[in-house]
Amino acid sequence: MRLIRLCRALLPLIACLILIHGTTAVVLAGEATEQIRETTEELIAVLTDPALQDPGRAQEKKKLIRTIADERFDWEEAASRSLARHWVERTDEEKREFIVLFSDLLEATYMDKVDNYSGEHVLYVGENTDGDYGVVQVKIVTTTDAEIPVEYRVRRRGDSWVVYDISVEGVSMINNYRTQFNSIILKSSYQDLVKRLKAKLAKK
Amino acid sequence: MRLSHSKRSNPLHRRIHIIAWLALLSLFCLRPLSGSCRGEGSPPSPSERRTIGSVANHQHVQIAQAETDPGTPSSDESLKSIPDPLEPINRLFFQVNDRFYFWLLKPFASGYGTIVPQPVRVSVRNFFSHIATPVRMVNCLLQVDFKGAGTETTRFFVNTTVGLAGFFDPAKKRFNIDRAEEDFGQTLGFYGIGPVLYINWPFLGPSSLRDTAGSVGDGFLDPWNYAVTSFPANLAVKSYNRVNSTSLSIGTYEDLKEAALDPYIAMRDAYHQYRQKKITE
Repeated sequence: MRLIRLCRALLPLIACLILIHGTTAVVLAGEATEQIRETTEELIAVLTDPALQDPGRAQEKKKLIRTIADERFDWEEAASRSLARHWVERTDEEKREFIVLFSDLLEATYMDKVDNYSGEHVLYVGENTDGDYGVVQVKIVTTTDAEIPVEYRVRRRGDSWVVYDISVEGVSMINNYRTQFNSIILKSSYQDLVKRLKAKLAKK
Repeated sequence: MRLSHSKRSNPLHRRIHIIAWLALLSLFCLRPLSGSCRGEGSPPSPSERRTIGSVANHQHVQIAQAETDPGTPSSDESLKSIPDPLEPINRLFFQVNDRFYFWLLKPFASGYGTIVPQPVRVSVRNFFSHIATPVRMVNCLLQVDFKGAGTETTRFFVNTTVGLAGFFDPAKKRFNIDRAEEDFGQTLGFYGIGPVLYINWPFLGPSSLRDTAGSVGDGFLDPWNYAVTSFPANLAVKSYNRVNSTSLSIGTYEDLKEAALDPYIAMRDAYHQYRQKKITE
């Protein structure tokens, strides 16, 4: 039971963002919540657009999804936090490369999942913001009536709130990647990490 | 615990004895692995272990907070992860479990899932969860969580009656009363015992020394262990529960593997974060 719940705790990023169905109950709708909801609805619109269902337009659909996700997800912050103390040791060139690799990894991993949407809906539970940082709490209700608590960690970027981390059932995606990357860097090297990232991306 | 040598000794007692010995053995193996603060040769006293555990837990929470606080330079991440001195063995068992999942558990669960409709399987899951109420209730009480104990009592009565012996969950559906998910591992964590080290059991999956001891403790609260005393039958019941649960979440392990650069670390870290969160809740 625990094993399954824990596996579920690594639900896809985009699947979490898009799992919204019809009207959603909005409790304590703050600014960050509203913006996340808007993005989610935009994504849904793309996914359910009958014109884009055609497999010939799959690439176009992916590009659209990526554009929408780019508006709401802070790849740079996520990438830097996932490297943690190894980030400051990198050159600017390496940092740029890593941000691209990391965002490609997330995109490649989760893009296929967006078609798996099957009627789940989202309950917006609450929002805590403190200055430029905050947390938006939601619950995803699955088809088997399980309620999965999800937290979006957000920060203010100009006028908008952007997500830099997603926690599912208390498991933070960034922390999870950080542990993996840290382990690989300590065992071999940062260059090896980059090699493994590229190899994994090549397989997709 | 006195070992019974009688030929008519109860199989349940035999099993409890074996498990108890294993648990004691594993607790004493704690000694060389729990750091250098103790002198060699002396088993840690319970209060000492608790202090060490509470320091470990406190550090975990502190670091966790530091990591999420913006602007704070990130501290040594090694404190944040669960100690894993048994990594080579754990990795081996990770491979074992991987094969077990793809070669046995998944085919079984998928086949079962094709034959049995989903609502039925959800009801079975509800039933097993319902029967495990004593585990949750007692652990709520042990953590002085009277609200949780009250919740579980209410849920038990409502789901036994309206929910038809627990196959349905009107307590949640109609009255929105959530389960108070507690177990003995969390109780130990509540009292400051850290995970100590990561153990990846074959077939059973990820755990920690503390949580394994917790499972042993919960075994004494699990009604199945009293109702079904024959070991093969008990194993069959537990296996059925596992197959049923798996059938409701096929794909999540595959997703973990696909998303991760190092699936072993991904699972270990997810387990650790998940348990930390459950303890603080």
